[in-house]
Order: sequence, then structure tokens, then C-alpha cells
Amino acid sequence: MRENEEQRLRRALERRIGRRDLLQNGAAMALIAGLAGCGVGNSSSGSKEETEKPIAKKIDGDLLYFNYSEYVDPKLVKGFEKKYGVRVRESYFDSMSAMTAKLRAGIAYDLIFPSGEYVQRLISGNLLRRIDRDKIRNVDTVYDYFADPWYDKGSEHSTPYGMYATGLGYRTDKVSGMTGSWRDLGNADSDDKSFMLDDYQEGIGMANLVNGYPLNEVDEAKLEKSLDYLVDLKPKLRGISTDTITNMTSGNAYIQHLWNGDIVNIRYGVDNPEDFKFQKCKEGIPVGSDNFCIPVNAKHPGTALLFIEWMLQPEHAAQNVEWIGYPMPYNGAPTEAFQGLVKDDPEINVTVEDLENGQQYENLKGEGRLAWDKVWTEFRVS
Amino acid sequence: MNENRFASSFLVPGGLWLLALFVVPLIFLLAISFGHTDDLGEAIYGFELTNYERVFDADLIPVLLRSVGFALATVVICLLIGYPVAYYIAIYGGRWKNVLLALVVLPFFVNYLIRTYAWIAMLGDDGLVNGLFDSSIRFINTPYAVIGGLVYGFLAFMILPIFASLDNMDRSLIEAGKDLYGGPWQTFRHVTLPHSIQGVLAGSVLVFLPAVGDFVSASLLGGPEDVMVGNLIQQQFQASDNWPFGAALTVVMMAFLLIWMSLYLRSAAREARGEAV
Amino acid sequence: MSTEVAPSPGAPTGTARPARTKPPKDFDRPRFLKAFVGLFFLVLFVPIVLVILFSFNSSRSLQNFEGFSLRWYQEFFESESLRDSLIASVEIALITMVVATVLGTLLAYGLVRSRTRWSNAANVMMLVPLVTPEIVAGASALLLFTQIGLELSITTIILAHITFSISYVTVVVRARLASLGREVESAAMDLGATRWQTFRLVTLPALWPAVLAAGLLVFALSFDDFVLSFFTTGESPQPLPVRIWTQIRFGVRPTINAIGTFMLVISVLSIGLALLLPRLFGRKESGLKVLLGREAA
Repeated sequence: MRENEEQRLRRALERRIGRRDLLQNGAAMALIAGLAGCGVGNSSSGSKEETEKPIAKKIDGDLLYFNYSEYVDPKLVKGFEKKYGVRVRESYFDSMSAMTAKLRAGIAYDLIFPSGEYVQRLISGNLLRRIDRDKIRNVDTVYDYFADPWYDKGSEHSTPYGMYATGLGYRTDKVSGMTGSWRDLGNADSDDKSFMLDDYQEGIGMANLVNGYPLNEVDEAKLEKSLDYLVDLKPKLRGISTDTITNMTSGNAYIQHLWNGDIVNIRYGVDNPEDFKFQKCKEGIPVGSDNFCIPVNAKHPGTALLFIEWMLQPEHAAQNVEWIGYPMPYNGAPTEAFQGLVKDDPEINVTVEDLENGQQYENLKGEGRLAWDKVWTEFRVS
Repeated sequence: MNENRFASSFLVPGGLWLLALFVVPLIFLLAISFGHTDDLGEAIYGFELTNYERVFDADLIPVLLRSVGFALATVVICLLIGYPVAYYIAIYGGRWKNVLLALVVLPFFVNYLIRTYAWIAMLGDDGLVNGLFDSSIRFINTPYAVIGGLVYGFLAFMILPIFASLDNMDRSLIEAGKDLYGGPWQTFRHVTLPHSIQGVLAGSVLVFLPAVGDFVSASLLGGPEDVMVGNLIQQQFQASDNWPFGAALTVVMMAFLLIWMSLYLRSAAREARGEAV
Repeated sequence: MSTEVAPSPGAPTGTARPARTKPPKDFDRPRFLKAFVGLFFLVLFVPIVLVILFSFNSSRSLQNFEGFSLRWYQEFFESESLRDSLIASVEIALITMVVATVLGTLLAYGLVRSRTRWSNAANVMMLVPLVTPEIVAGASALLLFTQIGLELSITTIILAHITFSISYVTVVVRARLASLGREVESAAMDLGATRWQTFRLVTLPALWPAVLAAGLLVFALSFDDFVLSFFTTGESPQPLPVRIWTQIRFGVRPTINAIGTFMLVISVLSIGLALLLPRLFGRKESGLKVLLGREAA
């Protein structure tokens, strides 16, 4: 008796799900048919005219600021609020991808901080307002390199904020056998405490450099080689993690693939900062910059412009580099301040030579990005 | 009004809510899984099966199995730890029942990340435990740490349902059971356990299903081999900007878990029928 | 206190119970169990104690305690955005808790006590949110809101949180409902109560521990939620966990320990208040007992 009931129930369930599936599928089909070719974003690409409208440099309301967390000295933010009598409302993201998702959702941020390649993306989508650099005081302190960067011709839609370089952080008191190469990550004697970044760009980029390829290599055969390198590296790693600072300060990591500013922040949190060093590797140094940008739908672009000017003031930038641990590309006090900060390990700094000789992550076209994604997924599951 | 109509009207508010705010987004997700991304990383709807091909091409079976394995281990450990605790609070808690229950939930008011960092401070290579015993045991970056993190994060989800199902058990039932069956173990098996089985099932579901898709524990506490399906999915949405592939991965994962879900539903249906009899 | 057990509530007075002169068996003296539970709470709270300890750390280290300082509390109280985030999180969690508990309880009752054409579909639909990874939930919620043009704000976060909490409530409540016999409800109706009265005065009070447990669960879930919140949050303020989790990239500041401790203190006070209030008003009877004069077996 029970068996029959169960069987009947099961069959009824299957029938129901089948029918429901069909209904849903029908609706889904209609929806997909209607949506085919549409993007998911809400914010339609801005028009060129909107982006080119000059911004009046005056306070036009509170600032809505969207950035990484802990990437600006809060005292400077407070100072800005006091001087101009406005409120800075802060909003945070933890990755470029996350930033774009919220941007596409149509939220009207006033100031965002994309990296170089994302600036390029946003410009091509007409999503950034033009920033009249001559309106900003102290803009002449910005490194010449940024007057016409690859991602923003004429630097019309962005102003650089912080610079970073990727390398290997290591402890001189615990690690031996560092040779200045990326291969040290697997080969140096680190008591089996080596960590790699859980970042597909940095991971594949590193493998490309080790193999002598350009950072942004997309050729399938060459990527296969890079994949092999990564897969061989895996057993030598203790972890693949972006929690770089905790890894090193907790003693879990003796070598960690990380960004230069991470070492500075690590040194703030340990008893023996002099033992923590940063190695830029000879096969190639990925460098980059995070940049001030004003989205096209910003409601208070004037305030944003004033904030950029505020941060560019030499005393402020000098104070900022000490707080964030990353160098800022402005001549004078900011550069000197960072040099002072890392004087026992100048490798941590990002110099103009580094910018010119290092390689930067570019926007890979569809096929290339897919290839990279495949390599990374395969690496992670291998 | 007969009971069925009365009770079924209760389905309406929750049902409509879920329909509007959950099923519809899910349809969008399903739709996107047939799409692709353009050069700028924006997801475009379409009719392609490429994402699903990729899902089955990539060697995902081990990752899925590992995720299920971790989740099952988490359920078992949560059960072993949680059942006695729930039992104690329900049966012996007395006046302190509510306080004890509150104590179980209290740690959750401190953010999970903060608590995890405290664990790392304790169990890290230079942490308190290793410092205390002058040892160098590697706790973190192991599968055990991942499961430990999962257990710690999901324990309350096991304790609370079991407590809820044990709470209305009259002590006299246990007394009667003791008289009937003799030993405490027998009593437990024949009286207490059946009474709480629904709670155990509920707790298991609430721990198992979310644990499979979890990515936090593995990413903070795991080693290179401890990749869970949740990490892969997160990668697509957080870094690779590949929502369509992430959506396809999710659909496959959810379909896979449907099997486990149906076990729970079968039992729930049986219990409902038991009522109707 | 160890072997003392609360007298079975509503035990029929006046009937002779087997005299408690029998020596308590091992079963009644749960020493091992008690030790186990004690150990459990100890291990549960060790990280919490560490959090409190490090909130007073004078250095930036999350590993070594250097000295006593209130600087992190200062940083917390001086930060307007942190305060706003905290308030937002509490607000969201409270509203989510109330709405999700109501919807989830109703759903549980409907699923257990009724059988319709829609029951199976409803069952599956109720379970699927549990299987959905949070990041997918967030992304799809974002998709929904943007496609229908709903502006992101605290409201959208609350909507998303409720959606993904209902299942937790339903699963917990139905477990309890399953073990409640229908006899009491039938008895109540025989006595003349309408279905609605029966639900309100008989079923609901009997379900109460489950509803409460589910509510606590939902609050904790919502308060701690990062992924869903990030995707559905509006301009500002972002809920607290978003603030905390996004710090991983540049280094987590010990201020979070101060926030954690602060939250702990607030929760202890609120829970203490919640527990004391009913006692202050002397309300311990459930409607069930009022109706029937004894507790259902």
C-alpha cells in the first residue's frame, strides 16, 4: 500500500515538475527571444557630448565616492569635508568587476577609481566625464608619463591616483635562495610556506613572464605552456590566496605573490618590519595605476573635481602615501615621502623607469579573455 | 472552510513573494547562461550552449564531489556536536533555556570575517596555540581548516532546528521510555530520536545545501587543492566578469543538488502524508 | 543546579507521580553531557574573547597583543560612515527578521497542512534558495532590479535578504509543525474555535520556539551577510559586512574588532532585555494553556 502511494507521489512530482518546467521554459524562451542581443546593463552608454561637457569646478553637493576600502586616508576625507562644508558618502567595492557591476546598475557615483584597463573600457563606452586638467591646481606635479597614457589618450578622462607593481614579498629571516626571479616562488627555500595570488590576471601574467612571453600573451599554444608552469607550481604552494597581509603577518606565509603596497601594510603590522622585503622579478614587472575618474552620470562632478584637486596637493598626497602604503605619481613631496617610507627597501617603490619598462594589463579581446579564463579554471581544478 | 483550503491560503504570501523575487531572477539567470560576454565584459543574452559545453568539458566532477564531501563532513560534525547541545538545552535547560539558546546565537553577531581572523590569530603558524605549545603545527590552509570554518559558521543552523523539535518533548515521555526500554540509549533510540528526526533533517538541509556553494571558508582557510564549486562560481562573477559562464556553472550545480533536495522532499512529503492519515 | 530539572510545565497537579525518592539514574545526572556542552561554549567563545581582547590592542597587529589602547574605538566612533553602516545593518536585519519569519511560518503551515496542485512546486521553490550560492543570488537580484528599473537602496537589500531568508524559516518551522499532532487543533475546533482562532491561539504558540529560533537565525544571517548585500546595496551607506569584507584587499584594520565587540555588547543587552521583559510583565502562559488548561503532550 505504501509502495504504491510513494510511486504515485513520485510520478505526480515528475509530472508536476515537467509541466512547470515547460511553463517556465516557455516563459523563459519568450524572455530570451525578447532579450537576445541585449546587454544586462541599465546605464545605456553615454553620448559623446555628455562626456565632453566641461565640469564647473565648484561645490555642487555631497560627494558620492566609490573606491576600495582603506584606500584613502580618512583624515584627508575629513579635512575635505570641513574645508568645503560637504559630506563625503563612501561606498566600497573589492574588485574592478564588482565596481563595474554596480556602475552598470546605474548608480550615480561621483568619483570612482578604476585601473588603467578599466579606464579604457569605460572611455570606449562613453561612460566617463572629461576632466579638464588645467583646472586642477598642482596637476603639473603629475608624472609626465601620465600626460598621455595608453589607456586614456591625452589623459582627458582620468587622473592617476596610486601606482602599484606586482612582485614577491618575502622574509629575509626565513627564506633563502632568492634569485630575483619569478621562479623563486616555487624554488626558493621557504619551508613550504609559499603563496600565490588568487587572481587570474596576476597568475597567468606571472606564468607568461616566466616563459618569456609578453604579459598579455593570448596565443593558445603559449598559454598552454603557461598553464603547464602553473600546474607544476601548484604542489609547491601552501596556498592560493589574495589575503596577502594576513598570510604574512600570521606567519603562515614566508613568500607571497603580492602587490608592493601590501608589503608596506604588512610591515605596519609586525614586530620585525625590516625582515619583510619586496622583490621585483627580472623576467618582468606588472605595473599599473588606479585612477580618479568621474562617471558620466555623476550628480556632483564639481565636488568630485575639487576632491581630486584636494588630493593632489603635495602635503595631502604625501600624507596619503604613508596611510595607503602605495606610491602616488606626483613629483615633489609625495614622491619624497614614499621614498622615505621605503628607504630600507627601495624596490617597493614604483619609479618612472618601472612604469616605462614594466608591462601593464591590457583589455583582452573576447577570445583572449575566454582563453585566459579557461586556463585559470583548469589550473584551479587540476 | 475545509482545512485544505484554509491551509493552502497560507501558501499565498510566501509563495507569491518567492515567485516574484526569486523565481523571476532565476529565469533571468537561466537566460543569461545561454549568452556570452562582449569585449567590454558586459553580459549579452543569446542562444548559445557554449557555456554548458565548457562546464562539462572542464573537469568539474572532482570539484563537485569535493564540495559535496566537505558539506557532508560539515553536516556530520555539526550533528555530532549540535545534537547533544540542543538536547541539553531543550531537556535540561530549564529556566536557562532561553539564555543558553541566546548564547548559541550570540557569536553570530560578531561578523564572520572577524571571527575567522580570530581563528587565524589563534591557529596560525605564529599564533597563540603554536606559541603556547612551542609547536609548529600547520592548522590553516588545510582541508580540515576549511571544514572547521564551515562547521563554525553553520553550527547554529543545526542546533536551532533540533532544539525546536526537541523542545516540546515532555520529560514524562522520557521517564516512560526509561521504564519501558530500560537503558538511556534505548530510550534515546526509541523515544527521543524519532521525536527529533524532523529537526535533524531540517538542520541537515540548512547546513548541507548552503555549505556546498560556500566559497568563503575555502578561500580564507584552504590550500591550493581545496577548491569548491562556490569558488569557481565566485571567480566568474567577481573577477573574470563572465556572468554567463558563472550562471551555467550555477545551473549545473543546482541541478546536481536537486537529487539531494528530492530526498528531503520525499521525507517531508511522507511526514505530511502521515498527518493526513 | 546540575540535577535540578524544571518541573514539567503543566504537569497535572494532584495526580500522584512516581515518587522522586528513586535514586537518580545516570540519565538524570548528565555530567558528561554537561561537560560536553560546557566545552562547546568554551570553544565557541574563544574567538570572541580574542576579538574583544584585540579590540583594545595598541598596535595594528591582529596577531600580537602589544598593549592597551582605545584607539580603535576612537576610530570607530569618529567614523560617520561606519556608524551609518552599523545602523543600516541593524535596521535591515530587524526588518528582514520580522517579515521573513512571518512569510516563512505561513508558508510552512501551508506546506504541511495542505495538499494542493501547487504543493510540490511550492516545496521545490522553497528549497531552491538554499541551494543558490549567495553570489549568484546577489547577481540575479541585481539583474532583476536593474531590468525592472528599481533603484538600489536599503529597500532592495531588505527585499533580497527576505527572499533568501524565507526558506530557512520554513524549514525550521515545518520541522516543529510536523511533530505537533493535529489532535489538539481538532480538540480546539470541537470546542468551538474557528480555524483562524485555532491557528492563532493553539498552533502558533506551540510553534513559538521554532519561530523564535528561526527569527534569531534570520537576524544573524542577515546581519552577517556580505555578498547579497553588496550587489543590492544602493549608494550609501553600505551595510557593515560590506565595509568589513572589502577591507581584505588593503588589509583589515583592527577597528573591526572594536565594531565586533560593540555589536556583541549591544546584542547582549538586547537579548537580556528581551528575556527580562516578559518576566517583568509576568506573562508566561500560552494561549494554548488558557484554552485547554494543560499543555499538549
